[in-house]
Amino acid sequence: MTVHRYEVDSIQEGESVEENKSDVLQGTLDLMVLKTLETMGAQHGYGIARRIEQVSDDNLRLNQGTIYPALLRLWQRGWISTQWGTSENNRRAKYYSLTRAGRKQLEMETANWERIAATMARLLAVR
Amino acid sequence: MEVLRIFLIRCAALFGRHRLDEELEEELQVHLELAMEEHLRRGLLIEDARAAALRDFGGVTQTRERYRMQRGMPLLESGWQDLRFGFRHLRRNPGFALTIVFSLALGIGATVSVFSVAYAVLVHPYPYANPDRIVYPLLADRSGRLDWTQLTGAQVRELAKSSVVERLSARINRSMALTDHDFPESVTASFQTGDSFPMLGVPALLGRNLGPADSPNGQEPQPVVMLNYKFWLHHFNGDPGVVGRTLELDHKEYTIVGVTGPRFGWGGNNGNIDIYLPQRLSDDLPADLSFFVFFKLRQGITRAAANAELQPLFEQFARETPENFPDQFKVKVQRLKDGTIRELGGTLDLLFAAVSLLLAIGCANASILLLARGAVRQHELAVRSAAGASAGRIFRQLLTESLLLSFAGTALGVLFAYSILGSIIAWLPVDSFPNEANFHINVPVLMFSAGLALLTGVLFGILPAVQVVRPGIHPMIQAGNHRIAGSVRGTRLHSALIVGQIALTLLLLTAAGGAIEGFTRMMRVPLGYDPHNVMAISIPLQANSYTHWAERVHYFTRLRDKVGELPGVVSVGISTNATPPDSGWNQTFALLGKHSDEEQKALIHFVGPDYFSTLHIPLLQGRLWDAAEVDRGATLVLVNQSFAGRYYPHGDALGHSLEVSALKSQPPNLLAVSGSDGWMQIIGVIADSVNDGVDHPIQPAIFMPFSTFMFMGTQILIRSRTDPYPILPSVRKQIAAVNRDQVVGVHGDGRLETWIRQEPAWARARLISGLFAVFASLALVLAAVGLYSVVSYSVAQRTNEFGIRLALGAQRDDISKIVLRSAGVRVGLGMVIGFGLSLASTHLIAHLLENNGHDPLVITAVCLLMVLVCATACLLPANRAASVDPMTALRCE
Repeated sequence: MTVHRYEVDSIQEGESVEENKSDVLQGTLDLMVLKTLETMGAQHGYGIARRIEQVSDDNLRLNQGTIYPALLRLWQRGWISTQWGTSENNRRAKYYSLTRAGRKQLEMETANWERIAATMARLLAVR
Repeated sequence: MEVLRIFLIRCAALFGRHRLDEELEEELQVHLELAMEEHLRRGLLIEDARAAALRDFGGVTQTRERYRMQRGMPLLESGWQDLRFGFRHLRRNPGFALTIVFSLALGIGATVSVFSVAYAVLVHPYPYANPDRIVYPLLADRSGRLDWTQLTGAQVRELAKSSVVERLSARINRSMALTDHDFPESVTASFQTGDSFPMLGVPALLGRNLGPADSPNGQEPQPVVMLNYKFWLHHFNGDPGVVGRTLELDHKEYTIVGVTGPRFGWGGNNGNIDIYLPQRLSDDLPADLSFFVFFKLRQGITRAAANAELQPLFEQFARETPENFPDQFKVKVQRLKDGTIRELGGTLDLLFAAVSLLLAIGCANASILLLARGAVRQHELAVRSAAGASAGRIFRQLLTESLLLSFAGTALGVLFAYSILGSIIAWLPVDSFPNEANFHINVPVLMFSAGLALLTGVLFGILPAVQVVRPGIHPMIQAGNHRIAGSVRGTRLHSALIVGQIALTLLLLTAAGGAIEGFTRMMRVPLGYDPHNVMAISIPLQANSYTHWAERVHYFTRLRDKVGELPGVVSVGISTNATPPDSGWNQTFALLGKHSDEEQKALIHFVGPDYFSTLHIPLLQGRLWDAAEVDRGATLVLVNQSFAGRYYPHGDALGHSLEVSALKSQPPNLLAVSGSDGWMQIIGVIADSVNDGVDHPIQPAIFMPFSTFMFMGTQILIRSRTDPYPILPSVRKQIAAVNRDQVVGVHGDGRLETWIRQEPAWARARLISGLFAVFASLALVLAAVGLYSVVSYSVAQRTNEFGIRLALGAQRDDISKIVLRSAGVRVGLGMVIGFGLSLASTHLIAHLLENNGHDPLVITAVCLLMVLVCATACLLPANRAASVDPMTALRCE
């Protein structure tokens, strides 16, 4: 099995260098997190990270730490909310869930993504 | 909206960072534990599971850092960090930080204060409307000497009609007595014609200005008075209800109609005016009443055009009243500030040049220190860069430190500026600048100097960062750069700064040496009289009093004798116009039997015989007058040595006669004995004493008995056994015993030593040599510190090299020589350039400053001083280099 390891991590280093690319990729991670929260309901950081990896059949290996700045960013925008809950190993853990604004954002970004993906697919299909 | 929301959330996160950090820590911990448990469930061993969990996580520290950046205001927080780090860094190197701060502060303080004074005195001294259009006519005689002229009432009215004149102000100043108290108080009154206040165009602070209606044509002026602001402050304690009250002057009641604004000083030709009264210009004025005139030129009239227009008019005036005009003259109208520019312009220009040099030296010094420091920090910066600090971050860090230094320097500089400004004002020659001048810190110059300091700090502060970022870091870390001799980048810049600094310092030092030499020469001038324990008081007469010759002689004699009765008084002398160091009345004279084509002038003095004993001026030949001769106004004169030497070089002055035709009686004011304008015999020669100011050679002088020619007042010289100032109240009492209405005027504190100190030339020389000395010493200290730090840093950098040299057998002397040689070249070059600049500038300085010395001995001494200081600044670090232990040096990293 070949593992394509996308270094989603590296994107933020490029703040000043490659503004556009980072925006797209950053948005991608945001979209993944929002989608995950929509399907799974409230979830803690580790759960979100693992879920993304599992859904991608381990084709996508996150640097799991990057999920946290992303969660903070989404929270600051008001798309997700946080509450303290208890984890599987009986520890206090922060749970994230989608807000109404987040749901709307997800719909918008999904539509957006599909449009881009379709465009890309058509472009790549051309011989 | 959203942007604002995020901004606020981020701001909020700046507070309670500790709690937020803990929450993040907890979250990350749970994450890692859950990950580990999953790996354990898959059958990994506990150590492997932990490693795997950390690997999947991908850098806990980085995540933490990135999270924090997302959370708060990273730029602000790192700025604060930089600030604290910078502050700690500077506190660890207090000498470095303080030197930079002081270098900048001195430059800023000196420049700003001197410029502020120059601006207040020369550029914008007057609060009046369109002050540059207000002029007064001076007459240039054949030799180009400018002199005042006075016009009669009719002439003033004629002048006011001229096409170049918009409005005209004529005035007569005289002292009056405030007579509503037990002791009469002398006040200076200025009688101003109706258009004066409208011409000045400034509103009164209280009440109203005087106007044309106060002196209607053909009538006595209204009994009204306007108070000067300063007089109102100290005499009425600034009472706002003063308008409408009365003031009793010379036993006559005047109604107070207004108070002038704070900066109003109109009419103050000699000292300040206390009160203003209306003056009429009618035909019925006495013919000998004469005015000083000022007028506002019409818009668009140049001074040259005004001169051309007024020349024929003044020539007509000269035909009417030839006694008020020189034989031939050119009218030259002067702006109000032209006189001040002549008096103080050169001095202030020179001072400004000096402080600009100081500012340049201060900035150079700061640059040198920052560069040297930067060179030492290359290694540290390289390590930080390797450890992950971005170029921007290093830039920001250094920038923060530089700004910290620059701002501290600027703040301290402002403080300096205020205190230096205070001392300059205190030392400015009295009466040589407009009393309207308003001294305050000049903000544009402050901004400029502060900007320069900031630029210096920023430019030279971040230069090290440029050098770190540019080359690959690795060689820098590996090698340090201690080991390579002279490998410091920017060495050339460094040398240029040192050379420049030393050159400018030497220039400043030689200029200071010249100024001090000029001043000491002035202080050492043989006065020819003994001012110690002598005081002068002036006795002004009220209008229309003592109008008979004998009465006035008797009155003055009685006052003198009454003061002489005091126990502490050694001798008393009448000195109508002869109080040194600037005395006498410059008049032409003729010698009997000796015709001269050239105009002969001498300073005429009117004194009593006790004048010479009171001032300890010895009689060289002949005799003095006796009391009877003074009482009858004998037409016998004494001359000084300069007079006798010039006109009778064979020592045969005695017995010859001279004539001063200007000594004509003009009752009721000027009372002369009959024959005063005729031939007078020379009966004695007295020793020379200073009579044209301490900065000019002694002029030929003629002394006559005070009774031959009397003005509306006299002066009395009092020599006492001890300091005369404390007996001044008893003197006043003695005067009041003769006439309780008699005003006693005192110039300064009355002491003749103070009279010398208040000479404009003396005060100017003191101001300039004092400030120059201070500024030059500061520059010297700065240059020494700059040189010392450069040599020290270069020694520190080459410690390793010196260790190797010593280990290979070099002697300690050799090491010292190496250090001294490299510094010596720069010092030498700087001195040569500085010397050249000094020589080039002597001419310029002499042009600006008349009493400047240019003794080659002084320049030599200054150069020696410079060499000595530089040698010390280099020798200290050189010795340190030589005393290094080779083993330590070799291990030194």
